Amino acid sequence: MTATTEPQTRAPRAERPAKASVVRAYLPIFVTVALLALVPLRYHDSRSMMGVVIGMLLFMAYTIAFNIIFGSTGQLFLCVGALAGIGGFGSVILSDRVGIPMVLSIVIAGAISAAIGALLSWIAVSRSLDVIFTGIVTLAFSLSFQSLILGRRDLTGGESGLRVEAGKDTFISEQVQPYYVFLALVFAYLVFYRFLQRSHIGWAFRALRDDEIAAELSGVDVTRYRVYAGALGSFMLGVAGALYAHSEGFIGPSTYAFGDVDVRTIVMLSLGGIGSLLGPVLGAVAVTALDEWLVDYSQLQVMLYGVVIVMLFLFFRRGVIPSLESVAARFRSGRHR
Amino acid sequence: MKAAILDGIVLGLQYGLLGVGLTLVYGLGGVLNLAHGQLAVLGAIITALSFDAGLPIVPAIAVGLACAATAGLVLDLTLMRPVYRLRGEPRVLLGLLLMLGLAFIIDGFLVWRYPIQSLSIRIGGDPIPILGVRMRTGSLIASAVTIAAGASLVAFFRLTTAGRAVRSVIQDEEGARLCGINPARVRTFIFALSGFLACLVAVTRSMTAPVTVTNGIDFTTLALIVAVVGGLGSVSGAFLAGIVLGIVNTISSFYIGTYITTIMLLVAAALTIVIRPSGILGGRT
Repeated sequence: MTATTEPQTRAPRAERPAKASVVRAYLPIFVTVALLALVPLRYHDSRSMMGVVIGMLLFMAYTIAFNIIFGSTGQLFLCVGALAGIGGFGSVILSDRVGIPMVLSIVIAGAISAAIGALLSWIAVSRSLDVIFTGIVTLAFSLSFQSLILGRRDLTGGESGLRVEAGKDTFISEQVQPYYVFLALVFAYLVFYRFLQRSHIGWAFRALRDDEIAAELSGVDVTRYRVYAGALGSFMLGVAGALYAHSEGFIGPSTYAFGDVDVRTIVMLSLGGIGSLLGPVLGAVAVTALDEWLVDYSQLQVMLYGVVIVMLFLFFRRGVIPSLESVAARFRSGRHR
Repeated sequence: MKAAILDGIVLGLQYGLLGVGLTLVYGLGGVLNLAHGQLAVLGAIITALSFDAGLPIVPAIAVGLACAATAGLVLDLTLMRPVYRLRGEPRVLLGLLLMLGLAFIIDGFLVWRYPIQSLSIRIGGDPIPILGVRMRTGSLIASAVTIAAGASLVAFFRLTTAGRAVRSVIQDEEGARLCGINPARVRTFIFALSGFLACLVAVTRSMTAPVTVTNGIDFTTLALIVAVVGGLGSVSGAFLAGIVLGIVNTISSFYIGTYITTIMLLVAAALTIVIRPSGILGGRT
């Protein structure tokens, strides 16, 4: 008898804190996305500024995905642009040449990216490559992809790029609507990131990042979770890259180039904070603002990125948010004492 | 075919020299110098600027080489200090990211200040036949300089005490320290040497094709491929890999096409890491 009554009295008590923590976990995402949703109110009549803020959301998506691969499991994938480009070129070729409906082609292209990302991850883990060798292998992949884009002119248009037919004259090629499409994508990615963090996968990610051997010994299948991270992150990269191709209506070799995509992504993630939920958002906003601020000195951009990278890793090695948090924590604990 | 092989050997020796600097810096300090090619281009552009300022070409080259070596020296003594204080994976990661940042700083600076500057050393004279192949004088002088540099490097590592000290630090830093070698000083010296060698390669390259401000990334990529295929930390491996890849490069760009060649070289590097991480001369792991 007691066995049936006990759960009834206990259940609400156990549920209430759980609900509160769910709200607390996802609230920052809603607040952030609500704030970002206000951006077009200011820029909706300027075609060029809408382009800039859409680019900001695209890179936010890239950085969240990269954060899953690098931030969560420590795999240095220097092929963010290439994986996004597989999504982009893949989806465009599938929809324009093969004639597959656009939405389906985006998903298929994302799946191809995911397969390649998973393969790279699997190679890295099964050959137990350290961070530097993972970096070199993925960089080699990145540069090969770049050469392939330039070389296979028949498929990719080579240097002159490719006009995208699928998605033309639909809502994603308008001025303001695509902003909300990408905002929805960022929202989905953030929710997914938080969901991962709170699930057993996130728990395994933290364990294997903090101490790989200890994680392995306590029964975490390191290979499996690394490959998960590689596949999920790459799928997100591929979908974001594909969506951008259809919304922009044009892709060329520099749309997904290492120097243009990977570098910005690394700067954004390290600026915002590696392994944090809102770090990518903050980093993308900050870098975009910086770019716009220096728009008249665009030749200085490359140099400035270099300075930002060097300064960040010299002084804020774990990213700005975690560094500030630890300073705040020290301040608080100092006051308590 | 014979011409392609000869050209490939010349190119390969340059690749080798380029890879040696990268491989040594990594072997000694665990820093993957992603700004290697940028240092080379920096030296080349300084050479071109000094030449434009009225210096004769040989002193101008000396100025460029000295500047590249100094840049390496200064880098090791400043930017790399916090890196060397770390151990293991954090050291490797910080070194890699700092050098990546530096590569962008040098690239960005050069493109901003000297967008159309380039170094191209023209050496006149009729082609000279070697083994029945007519070779250009510039290309011959470039190979002579490269061979001389490579030979003195090998002699330095095999015969001199300082060279043995360098090799001992690569093999076992603690052991070397116990024998009275100061690894920090060896590292500084090697960083400067790698800057010097990188610039030397850029200068010899400019005898056959112009070196422009945007070439840094190409040099870095090549150095990385060569160093990886040769095995990171192995000097003779880097030379061997350089020559093999140089020959592969010329033959395949002659018969197949440039973009496939680039992919082939990159795939070679990736496959080396996956199949035989210690390089072509290294043992199986």
